[in-house]
Amino acid sequence: MNAIAPEAEGEIADVIAEAHAHATPLALVGNETKSNAMLRPVQAAATLTLRNHAGISLYAPKELIIAARAGTPLAEIEAAVAAEGQQIIAEPPDLSALLGGAGQQTLGGIVACNLSGPRRITAGAMRDHVMGVRAVNGTGEVIHSGGRVLKNVTGLDLCKLLSGSYGTLAALTEITLKVLPASEAVGTVVLAGLEAERGVAALAAALGSPFGISGAAWLPREAAARVPELAAFDAAVTLARIEDFIPSVAYRTERLRAEWAGFGAAAILEDAPSRALWRAVRDTAPLGHASGDAIWRVSVAPSAGPRIVAAVARLGGNCFLDWGGGLVWVAAPARAENHAAITHAARASRGVWWLMRAPDALRASLDVVPEEAPALARITRRVKEAFDPQGILNPGRLFAGL
Amino acid sequence: MIELPPPKPETLAARPRLIAGLRALVPEDGVIAEALCLKPYETDGLAAYRQVPLAVVLPETTEQVAAVLRFCHENGVRVVPRGAGTSLSGGALPLADAVVVGLMRMNRILDINYADRYAVVQAGVTNIGITDAVRERGFFYAPDPSSQLACMIGGNVNMNSGGAHCLKYGVTANNLLGLRIVTIAGEILEIGGTHLDAAGYDWLGLLTGSEGQLAIVTEITVRILRGPEGARAMLAAFRANEVAGACVDAIIASGIIPVALEFMDRPAIHACEAFAHAGYPLDAEAMLIIEVEGSAAEQDDLLGRIRAICERFDPISLKVSQSAEESAAIWKGRKGAFGAVGRISPDYLCMDGTIPTSRLPEVLRRIGEMSESYGLKVANIFHAGDGNLHPLIMFDANDPESFHSAETFGADILKLCVEVGGCLTGEHGVGVEKRDLMPVQFNARELDQQRRIKTAFDPDWLLNTAKVFPLKPDIAHAA
Amino acid sequence: MQTNFTPEQLRDPDIKVSNQVLRTCVHCGFCTATCPTFVLLGDELDSPRGRIYLIKDMLESGRAASEEVVLHVDRCLSCLSCMTTCPSGVHYMHLVDHARTYIENTYRRPWHERALRGLLAQVLPRPKLFRLALIGARFARPLRGLVPRRGMFGKRLAAMLAMAPVKLPPSAIERPASHPASGPRRQRVALLAGCAQQVLDPAINQATIRLLTRLGVEVVVAEGAGCCGALTHHMGHHAAAMAAARANIAAWSREIEGEGLDAVIINASGCGTTVKDYGFMFRAEPEPWRSRAARIAERALDISEFLTRLDYRPSRPPPGIKVAYHAACSLQHGQQITAAPKALLRTAGFAVVEPREGHLCCGSAGTYNLLQPDIATRLQARKLANIAATGAELIAAGNIGCLTQLAGGELPVAHTVQLLDWMAGGPAPPGITQKSVITQK
Repeated sequence: MNAIAPEAEGEIADVIAEAHAHATPLALVGNETKSNAMLRPVQAAATLTLRNHAGISLYAPKELIIAARAGTPLAEIEAAVAAEGQQIIAEPPDLSALLGGAGQQTLGGIVACNLSGPRRITAGAMRDHVMGVRAVNGTGEVIHSGGRVLKNVTGLDLCKLLSGSYGTLAALTEITLKVLPASEAVGTVVLAGLEAERGVAALAAALGSPFGISGAAWLPREAAARVPELAAFDAAVTLARIEDFIPSVAYRTERLRAEWAGFGAAAILEDAPSRALWRAVRDTAPLGHASGDAIWRVSVAPSAGPRIVAAVARLGGNCFLDWGGGLVWVAAPARAENHAAITHAARASRGVWWLMRAPDALRASLDVVPEEAPALARITRRVKEAFDPQGILNPGRLFAGL
Repeated sequence: MIELPPPKPETLAARPRLIAGLRALVPEDGVIAEALCLKPYETDGLAAYRQVPLAVVLPETTEQVAAVLRFCHENGVRVVPRGAGTSLSGGALPLADAVVVGLMRMNRILDINYADRYAVVQAGVTNIGITDAVRERGFFYAPDPSSQLACMIGGNVNMNSGGAHCLKYGVTANNLLGLRIVTIAGEILEIGGTHLDAAGYDWLGLLTGSEGQLAIVTEITVRILRGPEGARAMLAAFRANEVAGACVDAIIASGIIPVALEFMDRPAIHACEAFAHAGYPLDAEAMLIIEVEGSAAEQDDLLGRIRAICERFDPISLKVSQSAEESAAIWKGRKGAFGAVGRISPDYLCMDGTIPTSRLPEVLRRIGEMSESYGLKVANIFHAGDGNLHPLIMFDANDPESFHSAETFGADILKLCVEVGGCLTGEHGVGVEKRDLMPVQFNARELDQQRRIKTAFDPDWLLNTAKVFPLKPDIAHAA
Repeated sequence: MQTNFTPEQLRDPDIKVSNQVLRTCVHCGFCTATCPTFVLLGDELDSPRGRIYLIKDMLESGRAASEEVVLHVDRCLSCLSCMTTCPSGVHYMHLVDHARTYIENTYRRPWHERALRGLLAQVLPRPKLFRLALIGARFARPLRGLVPRRGMFGKRLAAMLAMAPVKLPPSAIERPASHPASGPRRQRVALLAGCAQQVLDPAINQATIRLLTRLGVEVVVAEGAGCCGALTHHMGHHAAAMAAARANIAAWSREIEGEGLDAVIINASGCGTTVKDYGFMFRAEPEPWRSRAARIAERALDISEFLTRLDYRPSRPPPGIKVAYHAACSLQHGQQITAAPKALLRTAGFAVVEPREGHLCCGSAGTYNLLQPDIATRLQARKLANIAATGAELIAAGNIGCLTQLAGGELPVAHTVQLLDWMAGGPAPPGITQKSVITQK
């Protein structure tokens, strides 16, 4: 397949305008760390990669703002903000190990997929911190939304609409993120040996405490065993993270341990092991999966997480819980009936799912995200047409025929 | 006076039939049609703009809202949604041929779930009403616009309202899980739910802040958060606006993000003190309200760090609140600030631009210069931490000249905000007030892109017409 | 807010004041949230901001009041919650008082409405007449079941019959008299003996006099003083209200010029709000009335305000009773007195709790519960539910209207001053012994 890798925004616009004129479907990609595994496969005549449209265009640490072109490796941005003692708030995961991608994921890719890490539970998703975007719509027009300030409600919020639209509405070319000071210290309070239901109850108590929990996960025994910092517990673990100034972390981890007394004797992990283990949770390292497995990401109300865990257990799959129980990472053999069982469980709990990895043929035949109600689906189609009237951008990525 | 589109003659002609039709859809006193009773609905929190509507409807259920919208859609009648009518941008300004759909009667809290930390509320519940309902369990709903006592959550969603504490807790969009909406065709749709993140397009994100252009929101699932162990506010008084601005910069640069960081200049301090008796420093040119949270020891630690920073800027006084009553008074003054300006001026226009915080001193200086050249006083009240400015331009509405100057002055401030890299509105919305300034921030292609999204939801442009988008596309193209 | 009065209109002193009030309003809408009728009815026309707009339009047009304006202004409780909320300092009370007078002068109510209002205006301010009426109503009480519950007439009649106590207290109308201080006299005050209160519950005045004299205060019930004028004032009967106020001003001025008065004490806060406004009411009157009225207004104090200046101490051991303090609107909004009554009750040894939605009116509001029984009953139920949720054993309030309105619930009610008097050695308030809170302890 034809691969085009322009450097300038104007060239990207030209390519898309040309494709629009000829109704040529385009696959939009960055470094392809996710696009060959996630959601439905795209049938395109050519690939437009944004990886060469790269570089940080603005960083104003005092204003808590960084802007970069879509092809910028995320790692480059993380390094730049870390040098100023800051961090990307939503803690985006690196799923290359899970999804089998080589190379470095790009800013555009992570925003287009709206993927967030453990901190999402209290600090918001990637989309919550996208303060501005530049993009090229499906007719080749360059548009912008938002800006470089922290509060902006001028016009419709395309920043959020385009975040998580998987390149089906427009090609993101530049993104402005809000960043925050990185915490001085990290601590983790660990309860060992609780099954999912009880673990999630403990997480609810922690998240309902005044101690500012910034990570809340439950790992079954075999998942904990995959994380070196947790292996010694040799049991399922319930984890709560606190990030703050050094004295606050010391104080709050102790207070949480006391708060959790009714759930058992909790251990406290210090800064270095905490950082390592939450990175592992962020990147789904605890999830056991075989090469023939499909991977699902399920989002439900936190208290429903254990029900998804139970459904996965019945399939003989693997899973673990993040976001206080509300995010379930699932691995199970890539079969349509497993997909039906998992999505049924998600639907029964009023939740949603994303098929994150599966063989192409399977991905092409399944509802990789929940189908929308007919009236909403009509709006989806009309909004898609409002950006991409010829349907040339990542056709079929989310829904067949769209 | 702002330009409104000409009313549709066929709608005006059909008025008796339309009103009879509406009366069949809602309880008997739910349709207001007498000229005299429509008058109080002619405006909202931006009283400078007024237009009496065709009728006001007060539905009590989502199904009634759907029936009303279906009826209006079938009859090609424009619809203006309204909550508490506290919009400062004229977001609820009626049109002569429009039916105002008031959601004030939908004021019930439907569900509270502490384990999953959400509440389901109807659109007419006040912002503070949510916090009041969960306060005894130590929870709160985070976004706290100054009008939180009165403004309704449905309006907050439509304007993506912020508040003093969004520096830490985010704005409305960051605190929602789900919506129940009614389309102009009368279809009831569920958006999101009780989980995080959207599987398809982020309708929740798009609808939030859409100013009633896309649908009417009738039910909202909001996140509720457990409050901190405690909070304390500090008042720091300075000799000049610029000095206070520089102090804000220094605090942020130090890596401390207070939960709130508010700025007031001398006129604002005096007006608010007269209302709240909070002990504001009347001798200061500028004052910061800085709030921190945590245990008593954590508060002491943070306030100590902040105090050390403030002291580098030669403050007139630094005063830490000593009691919950004192903190409440400090916030009562800040939150009543706009209304309190009513004590020193019969009318005001409240601006809402946002700027990069590093440009604060320069922007303040230039607003001061404009104030002199227009001969109109300004009180400045800002969310300093995130660069969201609220200059209050004081004028006398009984003097048409004065109003006209205030409008032009306001537009100049907003253009200045855009010029330095900011935006027209940080949290109040475009409404009707900033509609014609949209081309300053967006080019014609961008406005058309937004218009096409509106069309996808509302093909006949019946919902809250004449807001957000400039009336004539050619104005936009010319800019 | 913009107004459109002609220079000629503005020469009318009442219009001039209302114009100033309207100009202060910036239409922010904060007041809607704390207005009881808006909370219940969800229509801006039944909110302060809506009424301000209706009144503005009515006054600007100079036309007679219309039926719609009357409907929505009549629904206003004059609880003044909006004034507590208003950041701009809009004096809603003066505006709505003006509107009520304007309505009475320009609007012809239906005959039955006129008859009822006329009756109330005649009877309530006159204790002897009111007592006779209550005796009549008491005999009619068993017939309550026959009163139609539908239609405004039936509801109002039912409300009036419900107000009549099952057992009328013995006649104890305060005669003009001077009650000397026990021990050395520290202060000398006039007590507004009031009108309806002393018929409905004479024990309140008795407790007030007992407590004050015990604290070294001479209490005078001045010859010629009577109703404060609030009842008629709120019905828009301007002349009657002024006459009542003038009689009081004359009576108390004689005392001031004679032996002197340190204060005029009011133990019904609805009256207190009006007496404190005498200065405004008489602003355009010829001298000496203008300055006399201002002098009285300056000396007017609620009993709870006055007691905080004295050294109130209980003589009985703490009763161990949990009291729900109900803040009367006229006290918390009209006079901005919020802390004093609670502090005094705590000093007296009571455990004081405050119900949720404390800012909302109980629905009594002078004659409101008789004129607007639907809304009043909903507010009463809401208030009683909020009080019940506190788990209190007793309700305390500083206004007779509220006490009557809340007496219909499960809990006994008492005036704050009765509880203070009780703990300082006076008798237990009648309602308390009857409901036997004490015997449970």
